[in-house]
Amino acid sequence: MTSTIENNEVVVLKPEKKEPLGVFFWVCVGWLGVNLLAAIFANFLPIWGPQDSNNYVDLNTGPSFSHLLGTDDLGRDILSRIIYGARVSLGVSFGAMFLAFFIGGIFGMYAAYRRGKLDLILTSVSLVFLAFPSIIAVIAVLSFWTPRSILKITIVIAVTSIPLVYRVIRAATLSAATKDYVLAAKIQGATDRRIMTKELLPNILPTAVSFVMIGIASVIVVEGSLAFLGLSTNVTTPSWGNMINESRSVMQVNPWLVLFPSLAMCLLILSLNFIGDRIRSYYDVSEVKL
Amino acid sequence: MSSSPILVVKNLTTTFITGRGRLPAVGGVSFELNADETLGIVGESGSGKTVLSRTIMGLQPRSNVELGGSVQLLGHEIVHASEDELRTIWGTEVSMVFQDPMTSLNPVMTIGKQISESLRVRLGMSKADAKVRAIDLLKLVGIPSAEERYDAYPTQLSGGMRQRVVIAIALSCSPQLLLADEPTTGLDVTIQAQILNLIEELKSKEKMAVILVTHDLGVVATRTDRIIVMYAGRIVEMGRTRDVFFNHRMPYTRALLESTPKVSNPSHTRLITIPGRPPDLYNLDGGCAFAPRCAYATDQCRQEAPSLQEANSDGHLFACWNPLPVGTSPLNQQNSNEPNGASNEQ
Amino acid sequence: MIKYLGRRVIALAVILTIVSFGSFSLIHLLPGDIATVILGTGNTPANRIALYKQLGLDKGLFSQYFTWLGNIFQLNFGNSFIDGTSVSTTIGTALPIDFEMILISQVMAFAIAIPLAMKAAKKPNGLFDRIATGTSFTMLSVPPFIFIVLLVLVVSINLQIPGTGPASFVTFGQDPFHNLVSLVLPSIVLGIGSTVVYFRVLRSDLVSTLQEEFITMARSKGLTRRRIMWRHAFRPSSIALLGTAGLNIGGLIAGGFIVEYLMQIPGIGYMLILAINKSDFLLVQGIVMTIATLIVLLNFLIDFLFGIIDPRITRD
Repeated sequence: MTSTIENNEVVVLKPEKKEPLGVFFWVCVGWLGVNLLAAIFANFLPIWGPQDSNNYVDLNTGPSFSHLLGTDDLGRDILSRIIYGARVSLGVSFGAMFLAFFIGGIFGMYAAYRRGKLDLILTSVSLVFLAFPSIIAVIAVLSFWTPRSILKITIVIAVTSIPLVYRVIRAATLSAATKDYVLAAKIQGATDRRIMTKELLPNILPTAVSFVMIGIASVIVVEGSLAFLGLSTNVTTPSWGNMINESRSVMQVNPWLVLFPSLAMCLLILSLNFIGDRIRSYYDVSEVKL
Repeated sequence: MSSSPILVVKNLTTTFITGRGRLPAVGGVSFELNADETLGIVGESGSGKTVLSRTIMGLQPRSNVELGGSVQLLGHEIVHASEDELRTIWGTEVSMVFQDPMTSLNPVMTIGKQISESLRVRLGMSKADAKVRAIDLLKLVGIPSAEERYDAYPTQLSGGMRQRVVIAIALSCSPQLLLADEPTTGLDVTIQAQILNLIEELKSKEKMAVILVTHDLGVVATRTDRIIVMYAGRIVEMGRTRDVFFNHRMPYTRALLESTPKVSNPSHTRLITIPGRPPDLYNLDGGCAFAPRCAYATDQCRQEAPSLQEANSDGHLFACWNPLPVGTSPLNQQNSNEPNGASNEQ
Repeated sequence: MIKYLGRRVIALAVILTIVSFGSFSLIHLLPGDIATVILGTGNTPANRIALYKQLGLDKGLFSQYFTWLGNIFQLNFGNSFIDGTSVSTTIGTALPIDFEMILISQVMAFAIAIPLAMKAAKKPNGLFDRIATGTSFTMLSVPPFIFIVLLVLVVSINLQIPGTGPASFVTFGQDPFHNLVSLVLPSIVLGIGSTVVYFRVLRSDLVSTLQEEFITMARSKGLTRRRIMWRHAFRPSSIALLGTAGLNIGGLIAGGFIVEYLMQIPGIGYMLILAINKSDFLLVQGIVMTIATLIVLLNFLIDFLFGIIDPRITRD
């Protein structure tokens, strides 16, 4: 392998190996895994039940041996409520994102690949929807679509996310579809379906995965906002948003009730954002490596 | 003509510290330049000529770069000087013309402003005076309708025009040394001669010294007083232009000359190329860097790097263990009294 | 330039038309029956017909739409079905509050983000850069509602600084000083979110601009680093920043609702939430239309500024 200094290149040559994803990346992946596992297997964990209250004794205690993160104003264990609350946050966010990606992604990829009328219509429609803050639509719909359920929340968020997913996947596919290897496959007579699954999909996957991660993080925030408006789950089912919202009335007495669910939410959002960002920069060849 | 040299380079080394190891882009270069001379620095891509010119000016970015040796430019020591010190001479005593005028001009600033910026900031001119002078400069470099063009953006000009603007900017504060780094490589062939002529004209008008860096021997043949031939970061031959063209001793110089296509050749003449590949600067062994591609290489060549020796007393030096015999240059078969070299016509 | 703006104006008109129809139909597509809401138990068929007639809801959809649209052009948003108040008055009192918060937060955001980004871009991956990037990334991960709750906990409750807690809002006309004090915390929350985004975008853009050849050329002219940064690097990079600002501010117009809601600041977002809760369709319609129009106008303004900064854009 020879090395030359190009005519104008006075900056250091790009390294041949990619920088490894990094320790922090894997820490974040690990944390995401912990959250997922804890949420799924909450029932089997040796923790208090989320509604258990020791006869309303032990109200608003701080961290102790029997209650690792303390109790809330009804004597319920904060740690277990956080773990069960993860179910709502993760369920809604993963569910909404996958649904949005399934629909928005397929349309986006197809429209970008085929172009033409379908692309024009869908893109213009999505532009109009994107001109408007989607959270308003979510709030409006959920206010009127009673009785509420987690499923409904998931669906509404998913639907309002579709335009953005469509645009992102479409953009990624557009840049991949113009590459020569797609042309080569076409010349060899590959069907559209084959091209889309074998050539395009693997190449937009990094962008897609990165966007999914960041999307999940933002849906977690949306769920939190909804909870503050009373539009999330009902009072007994714990969700992080609910917990933080309820904590406001007892903030002075029990700051732990604010801090721990907030910490859980922020840490997960941070991990998701970092994973998404790192994947994007790892696979982004055009980004100048300094 | 015994003006003292304005540029003295001694054992200059520029080494890049990269993830893959040390890259000696310039591996020990020494030469001098007088105030009224035009020097040509010739070499292939990767020979280190661009890095050399930037290091001479001090434009090389500082991070992960090691400099060694000394560069005395108009009384200032460049190597290890701070950016603040260097800034005092940039533009006013030395300036550079870059290769690609499309990327070296700020796309969102009018060309007039880019010229008058130097005048106002470096020479303290008023806005009005600077504009007048800038328009004069535009005329000087041959841009028609200079007054209107003052407010034009770089994208509105052709490549040749843009390069003229770059030259105007470089000259604006009347530097004593102009470094032209491949000034015509990115331009149409028809424009190339115009730009080179312009530089020559301006050189005598403004009384500057010029260093022309290029890979194209045709460019330096008639326009330089002396030439330096570089290979793998070192000087392999240097001297008066005539000596290098007609009395060269280093086989690489011969190979360079021969590989330049000549208009005068009969049609379908095979292009002569230099066999082998450019050297891997990361893994230079101790021998002559050109040895793997040299027809005359011996074991000594492969083991020991030759140092520069004198061919005559007029500053003609070369570095070779098996130099070509004197007077065997193929160019001598033509009019050897004329300075026309590679692009001679029958 | 004129042609460029002309095209933008046409696009603006088209989008606004679509948006107006969209917000109009959204309300009418929502589940929930206005008659039930207003009449309550008196929901007899006869009353319903009378109500619809009174509210003008008996005419066809398109006819209603055009009537509404016509009124809008005269800035008459109608009177709320629920409490009879003028929608335009409600919007008119709420909007300036948002403008004030946006103004404060954006001034803060630009004042912090621009110098920080410049300093970080000078030495990419240097110590300052890594600290700044890491901090901004972390801040990104704190949702605004958590931020405001924590700020209130620390500032109003722990530090007991008066006038900063929820429900302490006073209008500017009443008492400018306390008005500003009451808006400090929410503006900080909005501001930090914006600061972080602007920092990331500007830093990354500056880093790549600084690599360009014309920056080396500017150096070779002997210009100071400061001049190069501000006059040569910032200008092309400010385009991305401007675009981001447009999107960001657009999002803040209504997106500040959660902060407003928690602090009981009667801005447009808060009004919207209340309107939705009360099923006040006309008010919701009016607010949605106003917000959408503002966002579209904002984007138009940004496009205009693009044209000034980068003349290449207008030449398309």
